Amino acid sequence: MSEVILRIENLTKSFKDRKVVDSLNLEVTEGEVFGFLGPNGAGKSTTIRLILSLIKPDSGDVKIFGKWVTKHRNGSLQNVGALIEEAAFYKNLTARRNLQILVNLGGGTNRRIDEVLEIVRLIDRADDKVKTYSHGMKQRLGIAQALLHNPKLMILDEPTSGLDPHGIKEVRELIKSMSDDGITVFLSSHLLHEVEQSCSTMAIINEGRLVVSGKVKDLLKQTDLFTTEIQAQPIEEAVSVIRQLDFVKIVVVSEESIKVSVSKDDLPNLTTVLVEKGIKVSAIVPRSSLEDFFLSLTVRDDG
Amino acid sequence: MMWRLVKNELIKISGKRRSFIGFIVIGILMPLILWGFKVGGSQVYREITEQLQENFIVVGSVFNGFLATYIVMNFLWVHIPFLITLVAGDIVAGEGSAGTFRIYLTRPVSRGKILLSKLLATYIYTAALIIFFAIMSLGLGSLWLGTGDLIVFHKGILILPSEIAWMRFALSFIFSIGVMLVVASLCFMFSTMVNNGIGPIIGAMAVIFVGLAVSNLPLDFFEKIRPYFFTTYIDIWKEAFYDPIPWREIGKSILILVIYTAGFLGVSFAVFSRKDILT
Repeated sequence: MSEVILRIENLTKSFKDRKVVDSLNLEVTEGEVFGFLGPNGAGKSTTIRLILSLIKPDSGDVKIFGKWVTKHRNGSLQNVGALIEEAAFYKNLTARRNLQILVNLGGGTNRRIDEVLEIVRLIDRADDKVKTYSHGMKQRLGIAQALLHNPKLMILDEPTSGLDPHGIKEVRELIKSMSDDGITVFLSSHLLHEVEQSCSTMAIINEGRLVVSGKVKDLLKQTDLFTTEIQAQPIEEAVSVIRQLDFVKIVVVSEESIKVSVSKDDLPNLTTVLVEKGIKVSAIVPRSSLEDFFLSLTVRDDG
Repeated sequence: MMWRLVKNELIKISGKRRSFIGFIVIGILMPLILWGFKVGGSQVYREITEQLQENFIVVGSVFNGFLATYIVMNFLWVHIPFLITLVAGDIVAGEGSAGTFRIYLTRPVSRGKILLSKLLATYIYTAALIIFFAIMSLGLGSLWLGTGDLIVFHKGILILPSEIAWMRFALSFIFSIGVMLVVASLCFMFSTMVNNGIGPIIGAMAVIFVGLAVSNLPLDFFEKIRPYFFTTYIDIWKEAFYDPIPWREIGKSILILVIYTAGFLGVSFAVFSRKDILT
């Protein structure tokens, strides 16, 4: 059985009278990509700052690699890399200088600087000032910073925030390669799709409290049905065909598309039947009902 | 380890344009002033020797690089703190506003060591700026205007021979560095309290201006509290030119400045060790 390398115990933090993290308990085991999910303002970033000892908890503690952060800060953070929200740098210095500064702090070696710049594909721009970098390049450099000292636990807070699709893809690939290299990844996000694609385990928090946690596939099983949008022509014939299928349920029909409920396993069959019936299918857009599940768990009662 | 941390801070300081403002201002202003002395020096010379010639026979020129430096120090001394605060105010708060602390403080190095390294870098910068000021005033002044006896006015006219004047200037600049370290410590303290680089500069300058008012305005109430203000001792550098050097008063002044510095630093470390990094 894998070892628990990150344990959050009864963690509580308030700012003035507002409880931002409320008696939070979590465990992350070695080797997994752990998704930390919640809507904006749920307390994800505060939790991460508590883990990294950037802010002090009101009560509770965090144990990393068997050491409590409040008592053994330096020892517990020895093997932790982090990228918190938008990567921040000394913008008037080059990427190499920025990394050199972290090496001087006791993390990594000069040779490792080139290695991590290779990993994030910035070696050609290593001697350019960071202020000339695009947002995507800065995020990649942020990951390079976090990788510099060969961490065993990587904490990423909204790493794809503000990135274009190409940048998002690159960051996802980096997360995957970290996982393949045996690094445990703690990925905070408000994007379900991102967590679903990258993570094996996840926890959802809302208003500072843990709502649910478990294996992503187990949580998906709880919400097996998928809402899928089908764009097809002629739309009337497509509706007629779908109505004859007992494994699909029509949700909404519009002029250009049909929204249906279909299980993940039956989605290929639906596509095959439509094509065999001569219907021109221009797009099939699956939308996980995990999103609805997430919303049902985290929706605020404004009434 | 500490040297590597200090080196980091010096790299960061060197990467900011504001770090060079003090050097640029002194580098431009001093040659201009000295050039002004050189071309218009005869008028200054006449004004100085007018009083002297009533009682003394003046042989040669008393207007030289030493006197020019002494005059410049008197004029510019209250402006130097502003140049120091440009860096001292930004060194902690600047990282807060840029968000770089959220990576820098997640590495396994204690906050105390990081703050100490920032303090040492601030002190190195402060000392470097004063040394540069010394080079540009005394060094350049001596080259351009020559050296000779130094005339200072303290409880009458005091003439310091050339060989003693060198030592007095050295002592004076050492005192200057010490006083500016107190100013740097004050601004450093404000820098630990906020997350923008402007607030600490304004805060430190406000304290200095109020303090200088208390220290210099001839009001009875101010007389009583004056000895407890560190600004009362900000021109301790002048005492290096008195004869004899008032070591007892200087020692007392240094003690008060050290107590103030310890207070500023105590607050700095207490604030920074408890500070939540939210940016």
